[in-house]
Amino acid sequence: MPDTTSDIAFTEDNKFDSNNVQFIIGPYEDYALARAVELKELNKEIEISILNIGLSENDSLLRKGLAIGADKAYRINSEPFDSNFVAQNIANFISEHKFDLILMGKESIDYNSGLVHYLTGSILGIQTFNPVSYLDIENNKDIIIKTEVESGINKIKANLPLILGCQEPIAEWKIPNMRGIMGARSKELIVINPTDLKPALEYIKHDIPSNKKEIKYIDKEDIDLLVDELKLKNL
Amino acid sequence: MPVLVFIEFTNGKINESSCQATTLANGQGDEVYGVTTSTDKNYNSTLGLKGFDKIFMINDFKNIECLSKIILDHDIKIIISPGSDLFREISSLISISHKFSIVSNVKKILDHKTAITTVYTGKVESEVNVINEKIIYLINKNIIESDTYDKNTDIIKIESKNLRINYEILEETKIDHDISLSDADIVVSAGRGLKGPENWKMIEDLAKKLHAATACSKPVSDAGWRSHHEHVGQTGLKISPKIYFAIGISGAIQHLAGVNSSKIIIVINNDPDAPFFKSADYGIVGDAFEIIPKILKALN
Repeated sequence: MPDTTSDIAFTEDNKFDSNNVQFIIGPYEDYALARAVELKELNKEIEISILNIGLSENDSLLRKGLAIGADKAYRINSEPFDSNFVAQNIANFISEHKFDLILMGKESIDYNSGLVHYLTGSILGIQTFNPVSYLDIENNKDIIIKTEVESGINKIKANLPLILGCQEPIAEWKIPNMRGIMGARSKELIVINPTDLKPALEYIKHDIPSNKKEIKYIDKEDIDLLVDELKLKNL
Repeated sequence: MPVLVFIEFTNGKINESSCQATTLANGQGDEVYGVTTSTDKNYNSTLGLKGFDKIFMINDFKNIECLSKIILDHDIKIIISPGSDLFREISSLISISHKFSIVSNVKKILDHKTAITTVYTGKVESEVNVINEKIIYLINKNIIESDTYDKNTDIIKIESKNLRINYEILEETKIDHDISLSDADIVVSAGRGLKGPENWKMIEDLAKKLHAATACSKPVSDAGWRSHHEHVGQTGLKISPKIYFAIGISGAIQHLAGVNSSKIIIVINNDPDAPFFKSADYGIVGDAFEIIPKILKALN
């Protein structure tokens, strides 16, 4: 994902302009990975695999994930065209590798669809919760989570397999240390071919609306004016 | 060709997002069908006014059999829905079972198969063409004023068995607020400029006076001054109220990403160079501790 402070731009032929953009592991996925590493610290039997759908330029970020504490990395070698494409590819990967706890971000910070976890869960018939702000494992099998619902927060006990869309404060982001970086060099990064599937959505053009507005300053001694202005606009 | 709308209720009323989805649906199809889990007869009289030709009452959105029946019996090809988490989940189930394509974060529907969506957390607007004929549009909040209609609404109840849940709810914590942050028309939000959690009373007072929800910036929720549910911004909640008050918030790009679709932004900050002023409709340079009481007084 482009860093959250990046200025987003597109080239004339409608492609993302990656000049001067630093790429990061998406902030929500970073929370998911951090919590997985914390759980592994408590139970060494846990094996963490990380998966990305993207091209080879993402390999350095996968190495970072390995340095943070993942055991194995996989990359499905394709552009992530749309949510359905990504979910179908993840679902195929999961059914082949039999993972039982699948942590994702609440949403990606580029297309913000917030669908990939639900779509993957729907394809595989796996219970999915989103957004999840707390995750623990009790008695080596009971998964305890906290998830937001309309009325508040539910604390839930669920069984594996599960798909969870993670968000803060599930864990603190982790920065790789030197030992982790050295260790990551010898860990496996496996590249696999994507599922043969056409994109469902076609992005025709991208516009960047200006956030700059004509500001009206109100003097702090004349606050009534603000109230009048808002009344004038029927607000 | 009928358009189907998912209806949510908030505090006993059809919520504004569902009304807006219905208004969009009335611009798309000959007939507009709604589906709801509410069975309260009191709402029936207002359904025609809201623009529904038919309403299907079901037990549970997650019971895909009921929704499948509606979709197949009425040859539904377009669904327009508020973009809440529940409806993202339901849309995903329908997408996989009935081969619908989902378009998220819709700002405008241009024609049957094209829409403008907001991406990169509101920084970019993209025109998207859907290749498939069957489409679910998940719409952003406050993208249209809802209209009123004069329709006779048929109400059809679809009975089904309760779904078996394979998890256990250990504890339910109700969030103690009268107005949901994501649905609020007015949001009063504050940042580190408030200096400490003990100073939030005036923010709460102002919110109460304006019938608004309260929110905060990420450093505030990270410091534990306010709950994480109030955090708006790139990694928090994205909101689009009619009025957003930003009090003592400098306006980092990540914060703006969560609030930049607010209709009117009012920034109060004692630093005249705070970047937030560049995105504000109204700005007041000064100390929040001096200005908020003045706003409260002016509102009285």
